[in-house]
Amino acid sequence: MPTVSLNVNGKDYPNIQVSSTSMPLLWVLRDILGLTGTKYGCGVEVCGACTVIINGQREHSCVFDVGSAVGKKVLTIEGLTRPDGTVGDATGAAVQKAWIDNQVPQCGYCQSGMIMGATASIKAGKHGSSIASDLIGKHICVCGTYQRIKNAVKTL
Amino acid sequence: MNNADTRILPSTETTQNIDRREFLKITGTGLLVAATLGVPDKRAQAAVSSNMRPDVGANLGAYIQVQADPANAQKNAITLYFGASEMGQGILTGLAQLVAEELQVDWTQIKTAFTPAGLIVDGKSAYGNPLFGYFQGTGGSTSMMAWYSAIRDAGATARQKLVAAAVDYFNTTALPPSNQPVVDASTANCVASGGFVYYKRGTAEQRQVLYATIASAANAKSAGALTWVGTSNVIGTRAKRIDIPEKVYGAAVFGIDVMVPGMTFATVVHSPTVGGTVASIPAAPTGSQLVPIPGPNGTTIAVGVVAATTWDAMRIANSLAIKWNANTSVDSAAILANAQSLMTTGTPSTNASELENVGDAVTAYAQATATIDATYQLPYLAHAPMEVMTCTVAINKAASPIECEIWAPTQGQDSCIYAAKGILGGATNVTVHTPYLGGGFGRKFETDYVREAIVIANAIGKPVKLTWSRTQDLRNDKYRPFNLIRVRAGGTGTGVDAAFSSLIYRNVSQPVNPGAEDAGALNGATGLSYAIPNRKVEYVRLLQGAPVGYWRSVGESCNVFAVESAIDELAKKLNITPVAFRQKLLASNASGLAVLNKAVSMSTSTATNGSATVPSGSARGIAYMEGFGSIVALIVEIAMDSTGKIKVNKAWCAAAVGKVINPDIVEAQLQGGIAHGISAALWGGVTFTAGIPNVSNFSNYRVMRLPEMPLVTIATVDVTLPSRLPVGGVGEIGVPCVAPAIANAYATLKNIRVRTLPFYPGSTMGGL
Repeated sequence: MPTVSLNVNGKDYPNIQVSSTSMPLLWVLRDILGLTGTKYGCGVEVCGACTVIINGQREHSCVFDVGSAVGKKVLTIEGLTRPDGTVGDATGAAVQKAWIDNQVPQCGYCQSGMIMGATASIKAGKHGSSIASDLIGKHICVCGTYQRIKNAVKTL
Repeated sequence: MNNADTRILPSTETTQNIDRREFLKITGTGLLVAATLGVPDKRAQAAVSSNMRPDVGANLGAYIQVQADPANAQKNAITLYFGASEMGQGILTGLAQLVAEELQVDWTQIKTAFTPAGLIVDGKSAYGNPLFGYFQGTGGSTSMMAWYSAIRDAGATARQKLVAAAVDYFNTTALPPSNQPVVDASTANCVASGGFVYYKRGTAEQRQVLYATIASAANAKSAGALTWVGTSNVIGTRAKRIDIPEKVYGAAVFGIDVMVPGMTFATVVHSPTVGGTVASIPAAPTGSQLVPIPGPNGTTIAVGVVAATTWDAMRIANSLAIKWNANTSVDSAAILANAQSLMTTGTPSTNASELENVGDAVTAYAQATATIDATYQLPYLAHAPMEVMTCTVAINKAASPIECEIWAPTQGQDSCIYAAKGILGGATNVTVHTPYLGGGFGRKFETDYVREAIVIANAIGKPVKLTWSRTQDLRNDKYRPFNLIRVRAGGTGTGVDAAFSSLIYRNVSQPVNPGAEDAGALNGATGLSYAIPNRKVEYVRLLQGAPVGYWRSVGESCNVFAVESAIDELAKKLNITPVAFRQKLLASNASGLAVLNKAVSMSTSTATNGSATVPSGSARGIAYMEGFGSIVALIVEIAMDSTGKIKVNKAWCAAAVGKVINPDIVEAQLQGGIAHGISAALWGGVTFTAGIPNVSNFSNYRVMRLPEMPLVTIATVDVTLPSRLPVGGVGEIGVPCVAPAIANAYATLKNIRVRTLPFYPGSTMGGL
């Protein structure tokens, strides 16, 4: 079995056994590393639930080969504000605060992807409502939290 | 800005999805008060003897525990345990707000936990929903209606018991300022506030005691006659949702995220045609196990694929050369033809809940001066919750009796228990844990995916997490039924004298509960509070078609489309506006009229994003509904976009939901319901050709994305509800009025009446 080494949220994960290096990063994160904050919604890059940030770029982990993530910095939802409460990524942590202040989530399942999408958008220079029309416009939320997402990103 | 200050650590301080072993450790400490639901003593006795709740001799249902915080004896730990499922509707928060208010504590002091389900006696569940006959399940927008009074009573009981215990405490304990016990403490001079009970609060003699200090002693005290507190420090406020922080930090455990020791991963391949069966299963590829999933009559209906990861299972599943016996019977053209035939010659149900006969609708229709005869058609709809079907099962065969633990994002805990017993044997000790649901919408009442996980775990002898692919999810749904509805409506008079004299209504659709009465099929068409003196409302069962189930707002999702479209169509013939016609029809319904008029006034006021006149190139449409214990009036404003398709730009929604426990949650549910309704009206629809569904992923099952969300303005209206209950349902009520309001606006804008949904069948959406 091939092995890969990853750097996720600043932590090294050496010698991860995978059945193939073409295994999507999403499932390595979820099923092998136990980082279940990144979600499966469609598997075909349409819904945005699997969004992560790799070397500063927004990527869809459901179609991103784990082999291609080797040697790169992977940032997931868990890395924005760490479990101990410290800030891992200031941009992302600010997005999370706006999400809480505006009570954005309903079921919450799509929101990791939304937050990562917004974070990537800000890192790419977008602010305010251009975040909404830019990347977040392509994410799906079946609960329909879009109005509050718009309210939240206006403050960012 | 210190983000750590705003961070509540997940899973330890917010919702705990406690497992059974932890659950039992909590027993016996502090004060335990059950929300009494008239549960028979036999269940309480069974609870005691089964070790589910060894020291609670009281009735069960939901309960409140007050004890010392294990980490800090100077702090209270107040926890509400209940069995409803949190799927984004906010019930976790809403019920906890009731407890915070009755215990007069700060909102941040309440914790919540979902009780594991597993105890059913005489067909009633220990934590059952009283509005479901004590079946433990969450749906029908019933949870707040079901629990409001019981939980307030439980909270008041806890508070009053604590005060009674504090009275004893003050009368026996040496405390400052006098360093003596007092002699005159009583319920008249002791008050609970902010986590303490005070003696003579605000005076020089004041003493206080932390709830936790006297919590155990409080168990034995009598609460006396219960009084609910009159404050609204938490109830009625925009209390921040308990579960939002962990959902924002990616720490929330949804069904699909469950991890148990020794767990392996699986997916399932179902028949490509609806109702098909397996003819042969190939050998399992290296690194996998294949598990046949049994169906009725000795058939195999699906194949479970077990592998090292979910992806490996899905990858292998996609490559399997399973041979299938095709079933071509589910076909949209055939279903429509059958429904049309039943519309003219079918025998209506004679079940009292499936018809309405008031006055003489046939004669009145014949004598009407203006009539419409309209047939409306609504498609099968998929649920497509963002979290696909998933379930984790661990079976301990060494135990006697066998133990089966299920972690399922389910809306029907009791159904899961029965499913497990059906597969593993009636004596099986079953526990169902309910993690967060990534959307329910009625789909997660079903147990198909739960059964599959149980069968797989049983076959391989290891715990397993089953996850469906999105394609399997869309193609193996229990769809919102296809509906064919014929409305003949007659009116008299014109303009201000217009009257709706007769309604002849026939709904042809599949019952969600075949073999049983299905009153749900006519919800939204019977019991209308409109002034329509002659009505004949009938239901004809369509007994072939795709598998069907409950979809958000169920019968109302179809019947309100037909009724509210028909009202507009008749209004046009009677030369009266849709608003004025409805005002007449609701003239003796003060509550309904207030809600209707509120929507109208919001749409015309700039203070509520409205305008006195409709912008050029736009049109507005209105719809009204009473359902789920509440009242809704919705106005949408549409225009045509650059591709010539409808864009909903604005919506004004007035709703009477009784006491508003949390206005923020109510608004979110209405906004979300409206989004859901727009997706369904404009694009939603699943069709079948010789058994094969036409959908495979979100790319060809279009749903709303952010640029399509209108500006929604919400107002709640404080009027008496039709049910006369203190609260009404909220979760589903935003949906039904959307499609008719859009169709009504479109008819105004284009002078075209659309009676078949969706507006744009076969819509696709691009990727990222």
